[in-house]
Amino acid sequence: MMISIILNEWKILVRNRSIVYVSLVFMLSIISVVWMGNLQSKNQSKAQIAAEKHIRAQWDNLEPMNPHRAAHYGVYVFKPISILNSLDDGVSSITGNVLKLEGHVQNEIVHSEASQSITISRFGKLKPSTILQYMVPLFLIFLSFGSISNDKETGRLKLIALQGVSLEKLVLSKSLSIWLYGLILLIFSILLQLFLGSSSADFGTRIGFILISYGLYYFIVVCLSTYISASFKNNTSAISLLLATWILWTIFLPKIWGNTVEKVHPLPSRQNFISQMKEDRSKGIDGHNPTDERRSKLKEEYLARYNVDSLSQLPINFDGIVMQADEEYGNQVWDKHFGNNYLIYQKQKRLYQLSGLLNPFSSLQNLSMGFCGSDMIHHLDFLKKAELYRRYLIKTLNDKHAHGGSKTGEWRWTVDNTFFRSVKTFEYQTMKIKDQIENYYIDILSLIVWVLFSGFLIRYKIKRDIII
Amino acid sequence: MSKYLDILKFEFFHLINSPYKIISIVLYAISILYGCQTGYDLFKKHNIEIKSINSKNADFEKKMLVQYDELEQGLIEKPRRDPTIPYWAIWNTPSYALKSPSPMIVFSTGQAEQYGYYKKVTNWSTVFDNDLAEEIANPERLALGTLDFSFVLLFLTPILLIILLFNIGGLEKDNGFDKLIYLNDISKKSWLITRFSYYFLVLFTLICFLLIPYAVLSGVFTNELMSFFTLMVLIFLYIFLWVSIFYFINYWGKGSVDQAIKMISVWVALSIIMPGLFHQITSIKFSTNYMVDYLDVARDQRYEIFDMSTDTLQNELLESFPVLKSSVYAQDTTINKGIINRSISGLVNILNKKAAGKIEKESELKNNFVRSTLLLNPIMYFQNKINEVSEADYYAYRLYRENIQNSIDKKIELILRDTWNKEEVDKERYIEYLQEFKN
Repeated sequence: MMISIILNEWKILVRNRSIVYVSLVFMLSIISVVWMGNLQSKNQSKAQIAAEKHIRAQWDNLEPMNPHRAAHYGVYVFKPISILNSLDDGVSSITGNVLKLEGHVQNEIVHSEASQSITISRFGKLKPSTILQYMVPLFLIFLSFGSISNDKETGRLKLIALQGVSLEKLVLSKSLSIWLYGLILLIFSILLQLFLGSSSADFGTRIGFILISYGLYYFIVVCLSTYISASFKNNTSAISLLLATWILWTIFLPKIWGNTVEKVHPLPSRQNFISQMKEDRSKGIDGHNPTDERRSKLKEEYLARYNVDSLSQLPINFDGIVMQADEEYGNQVWDKHFGNNYLIYQKQKRLYQLSGLLNPFSSLQNLSMGFCGSDMIHHLDFLKKAELYRRYLIKTLNDKHAHGGSKTGEWRWTVDNTFFRSVKTFEYQTMKIKDQIENYYIDILSLIVWVLFSGFLIRYKIKRDIII
Repeated sequence: MSKYLDILKFEFFHLINSPYKIISIVLYAISILYGCQTGYDLFKKHNIEIKSINSKNADFEKKMLVQYDELEQGLIEKPRRDPTIPYWAIWNTPSYALKSPSPMIVFSTGQAEQYGYYKKVTNWSTVFDNDLAEEIANPERLALGTLDFSFVLLFLTPILLIILLFNIGGLEKDNGFDKLIYLNDISKKSWLITRFSYYFLVLFTLICFLLIPYAVLSGVFTNELMSFFTLMVLIFLYIFLWVSIFYFINYWGKGSVDQAIKMISVWVALSIIMPGLFHQITSIKFSTNYMVDYLDVARDQRYEIFDMSTDTLQNELLESFPVLKSSVYAQDTTINKGIINRSISGLVNILNKKAAGKIEKESELKNNFVRSTLLLNPIMYFQNKINEVSEADYYAYRLYRENIQNSIDKKIELILRDTWNKEEVDKERYIEYLQEFKN
């Protein structure tokens, strides 16, 4: 019986020319938006690779240089576009793109896209995610609302009910038929993305998760819309409530909750952050200060280890040892302070995710960004990996400085670019989504709770007297 | 005239008898207060940070002055970074470039969260340094955006108008008595315009009323009266724009539901789709700038300068700063490596300025393109105008970057002048330096 109702609903949908035209407009919009998204990603990727090559070429062709000088010269890394940036660019245009990796300091990523022009939009670029998150659900609301209200107005609902069809089954079938319509638009977008994207297993897994997340959200939207339409005698009140809910979910709550979590778990001001790091840093070795007390202790330790009386007798370059000791102390300081910030970010994220219990839209947004690799978790992963690379780079340079054949104080001693070329390039690999899925449990759970709740409303809470 | 007053009177009764509409207005008013409070918090936060920087600077200045006293009295030895040498004295002259928030930021935080607003300026600084990064904030929160007053005005006002207006004329069509109204010696146009005018006035008055306390609190009336007036004009025009759009929808509408659906669709198109579309097109046309020109100066070209021989550097400096030709050192025949090394930042600064100029030019091209789309993207036109009056737009921060550059130039000018004239810095001269960099 339900299948017959669904098929019948589909026949009505297909017969309605407006819906056919709107669907065509949707399809064309999705094609053009996916195409634009891919074009933009390709352009940006090209610019990023060109910048990377340029910077690496400079490193490879360095004039003979002291390794410590090379540590100050440093390298730049550029944040690559996320794996599914063309679908949902998440935080990409807000975060910086250029990170300098050098000795003595863990820098912050700078030069965001948003800081390079006047304001262009407040809801981000028009990506397929914009259409799938804002427009498709709105259209599904209109369809669900129309599907019930038309039947109520024409008395068709009474006729169907008289034929012995359970009202719950009828409303559920109508919901499913509209949900399937949303699903088709979704699958169409995903297929286009698959066609244009890579073929890795992780890409496929991510696409799969995206499909499920959006599918669940559409189910919630459709079920709630049909339920509200069926539960109100007055069509105007029903559409008002539906639109109010949509506005509350998509526009109002995300911002209010987003601002609230920052107040519940506040981050330090940049000034405090920098001054506290500076204070902690000053307690360690100062590689560039020859009168530093801690440096003297290290010197005594090395003189004893090599059983010599002066630095000039050491078979190694003590300056390199000091620089690495300085670096290792610094690393502890960076880990403490940056780590603290990352922890606060995580706490804020968790609290924000909990809003999914009130607002499934925020769960969808989190999952969409997460599965597209463009959320904060992926951003922090990039920063952490870049910092690990910085530590590898500086250690390699300091080791060369210490053990490469020079003696203490020989600051004019240089190494040629054969050595610099042997230093590995930073290659960022996006983390596998299956290893990170626990970060999204709250969002997934929230969507499931909402699916069960909306299903429950349709199954048990439809008021027969109002509908008929 | 009386019939129009009657319409307004009935509209008043219609409004107070619509609980949904009243609740919406109350929620909207709360949103405005919330938005203003968000802006006011940011205003206070910036001012507190700036005050704290100034206080730290004052402490540092005191310490330096004591150091000069002790040096002059022979109580201490000269430290590694000798403050009697102009280079280190100027290095130790606190000079922060600060962007004090305009009181109007209470109404629009604009792009304030995408830029830094304080920076320690040294002779090695640039306008794109790492320490000029924005305040530490959760990127996901930044991507969601701030619910400030401008957001409420630009995005929630049309929604409130939809709630208030969707059944104006629609209810009569739903119940089939719309034709009866036009029998009462009034045209459909005049009837709708009068009813719409009522809501227009209610909304505009409500906004003005709610903004005044925050304007008083932040000192807008004493410092930014003209900006506030401009904001009021923008608010008036913006509400008028939406009321006009909705008027046409209702004029041609078939009933409340039809009108509500059309209104929300127009809202989605103008608020989300069009800005998003132009944002995407702009990104395709102007890919994110990875600042390679600037990075080249910051690294490669800077190192090329470092590798130059002392006499080449001296010639370069004399060529770039002709005023040095009349300095004491320029008359010497011997080369002083110390003086040259302390002057190198002058040459690097020239390269930095060149790179910065190129980057600003590229950004300006992008801005010109964005501006050319604003006719089709009216919401963002208003957003940028409001950001402009709140001094929280791209250009306010470009001006701030120019101020930073001026401070860098001044530092370099003083270093070169006093280093090349072989000046020794005492307490008095240090106080002169302090005066030069007072904000």
